[in-house]
Amino acid sequence: MKTRILGVVALAAVIAATFVALVVVPPDQNQGDAQRIMYPHVASAWLAYLSFGVTALAGIGWLWKRDLRFDAVAVSGAEIGVMFTAFAIWGGMMWGRPVWGVFWQWEDPRLTTTALLLALYVGYLLLRRLTDDPERRATRAAIVGLVAAVDIPIVHFSVEWWRGLHQTATIASPDRVLNPAAPMAFVGTLLGMLAAFTLAWAYLMVRRYQLARRELEREERGRIERIVEARSNPVPSEALR
Amino acid sequence: MMLWPTISAPQTSMPQTTIYVSPRSLGAHDSRPPAVVTTDLARLFAGNAALAGVSLRVDVGGVIALLGANGAGKTTLLRVLATAIRPSYGRAQVDGFDVDRDADLVRGRVAYLSHATGLYDDLTARENLRFAAAMLGTPDAAQRVERALSDVGLSDRAADPVRGFSAGMRKRLALGRILLGNASLVLLDEPYAALDADGLSLVDQLLVAWREVGVTVLVASHAADRLEPFLDGRVLLARGLVAGVEGQGVTSFPPSLPVARGSLTGVSP
Amino acid sequence: MSTLASDTRVALAIARKDALAELRGRHATVSTLFFAAVVLLLFGFALGPDSARLAAAAPGLLWLAVVFAGVLAVNRLHLLETDDGALEQLALYPVARRAIYAGKALAGFAAMLLLGLLVLGAVGVLFAVDIAGAWLPLLATVVLGALGVAAVGTFYAGVTVRLRAREVMLPLLMLPVLAPLLLGAVKATSAALAGDPFGELGAWLQLLVAFDVIMVVAGAATYGFLLED
Repeated sequence: MKTRILGVVALAAVIAATFVALVVVPPDQNQGDAQRIMYPHVASAWLAYLSFGVTALAGIGWLWKRDLRFDAVAVSGAEIGVMFTAFAIWGGMMWGRPVWGVFWQWEDPRLTTTALLLALYVGYLLLRRLTDDPERRATRAAIVGLVAAVDIPIVHFSVEWWRGLHQTATIASPDRVLNPAAPMAFVGTLLGMLAAFTLAWAYLMVRRYQLARRELEREERGRIERIVEARSNPVPSEALR
Repeated sequence: MMLWPTISAPQTSMPQTTIYVSPRSLGAHDSRPPAVVTTDLARLFAGNAALAGVSLRVDVGGVIALLGANGAGKTTLLRVLATAIRPSYGRAQVDGFDVDRDADLVRGRVAYLSHATGLYDDLTARENLRFAAAMLGTPDAAQRVERALSDVGLSDRAADPVRGFSAGMRKRLALGRILLGNASLVLLDEPYAALDADGLSLVDQLLVAWREVGVTVLVASHAADRLEPFLDGRVLLARGLVAGVEGQGVTSFPPSLPVARGSLTGVSP
Repeated sequence: MSTLASDTRVALAIARKDALAELRGRHATVSTLFFAAVVLLLFGFALGPDSARLAAAAPGLLWLAVVFAGVLAVNRLHLLETDDGALEQLALYPVARRAIYAGKALAGFAAMLLLGLLVLGAVGVLFAVDIAGAWLPLLATVVLGALGVAAVGTFYAGVTVRLRAREVMLPLLMLPVLAPLLLGAVKATSAALAGDPFGELGAWLQLLVAFDVIMVVAGAATYGFLLED
């Protein structure tokens, strides 16, 4: 099936990209081998944001079209996205320790924004879990996802401002390595990693969506069955007198 | 068009008053759509079909009773028409407007008395009605509020917080709130419950007053006997379906099979 | 059908109703204020007694106290609507949904403004910072911060009012979204208190304005969906 092919291709791509990142591409002069984690870290972060964007847009789709399939896309985006977000944060900390000397740096906009993104995702998923009715859950999730998505750029912007106004330009950041003078090898590896991760993301999304869709169809069949059964067996009027 | 109907109120201690009911100007008789049309209306709660397929037409101006055992779907039907909940399948229209797509337009035409009164405990009776008048856009709000308070017999308690009110008094205040609007369709869910003799008589008078100005009234009630003199027609519900229709002003149609799609599109039954 | 004038009228009526109910019997305004005071006291115990350190931390402590107490305040304002199905009745009036949001957010803003001003005064006293010298920019910051908390809080209080585990979900949802507001308000406050040495006060106030505008628009656009069903 097409999905299976996607999965195989994605796996192969991730393995290849990881190999290149760990072995083939030369290490950075200043940061050494620790810099290698930048590749999956940055790629994950981008996909974390993409996922949230998908969730927010799918929420709008639900509010507009009232089709629960949009909500299935939304929950897939949130669950897959939270994985990539957690990985991105972990990667950021692993990179930070050898380079900054500490696990966390408050003025790194990507790290703090991604941490906040994780908090927003978790809130979103908890909210979903606490609502049983599928339509009410879809509506609540959609508007919460929307407001959270609107908040993300504000957060990023304000943290950058925070850093900028402190004028400590010595804060290193993972993608500082990718300045215009960076060797093609670095940029190429990152793009390759990004492509591989995106394929993996797409595969996971499709699988998760299929699962959600199957659940929806099962519920719908059950509902229609109940209605058909009721309509076929009305209470005879004599029994009511 | 404002009418001041005179109501004869036999055997009651309430003074004979005229109740102020302001109707919507309804237009020529033949060109009006029916007050209510539902088509295979179904509503499920957590898999249970509270309404399984109700197809009704209610003509303008009638007083129609919704009868049936608990759980038959009376409250659910009223709530869908009030736009408090959406249909799961099928459609419902009030004065020709769809309750799902044109909910705003329906809200302006419908008044709903539910089990809950929707009153604010910390506010006085008068303040609750003043607030309702502001929400409903009632003209001459201050006067109308005083009028409504006196019509439902709560003028002497107008300055008391609702927190101290009995269930019957709250219901009367909720009825007073309905008098502030100009709905063309009034939906009453068990209006007689928790009322004393004066309160029961008040509901009777309201039914007469509404019929006189051409407002359509749907009453869900167990008190079929009490309602009898005021009714034009009766609908009997059982297990989410219409089990029978009597009298004038209301017609029903059998539900269709197969079931038309609801909120999950692309899935065929 | 709904005009700006009618929306304004509706919003004011709702805000007035909330204010009336608050003044009348809730007595929770007072307890929210006292909660903020207790939070400040605990900050003093946790970070003191070095008054220089407390004075340096004062802007952050101020806004943390405001935000935490703010969660209680917006929660309470929505709890008002659980009186005997009042929220459902509110949803049935033929009024614009954004006007309902505006009314509740307006009531929330009034509460938050009062809270913010009182906490500002308390911080001035407890942590020895001179607020009188910079009262104008501080006032502007409190106004903008209060509006942001009210806009976001009203929205999330609407989301959680009928939710299970409401007490923990409201802060969990609301606080992360408020992070940029917190940052901006604290930075603006410390800049104001220091006499704005780097000229950054204007930039932070602009951030607050942008945040407030975006959140009010987002809240007004989406609040209506919460009132369904």
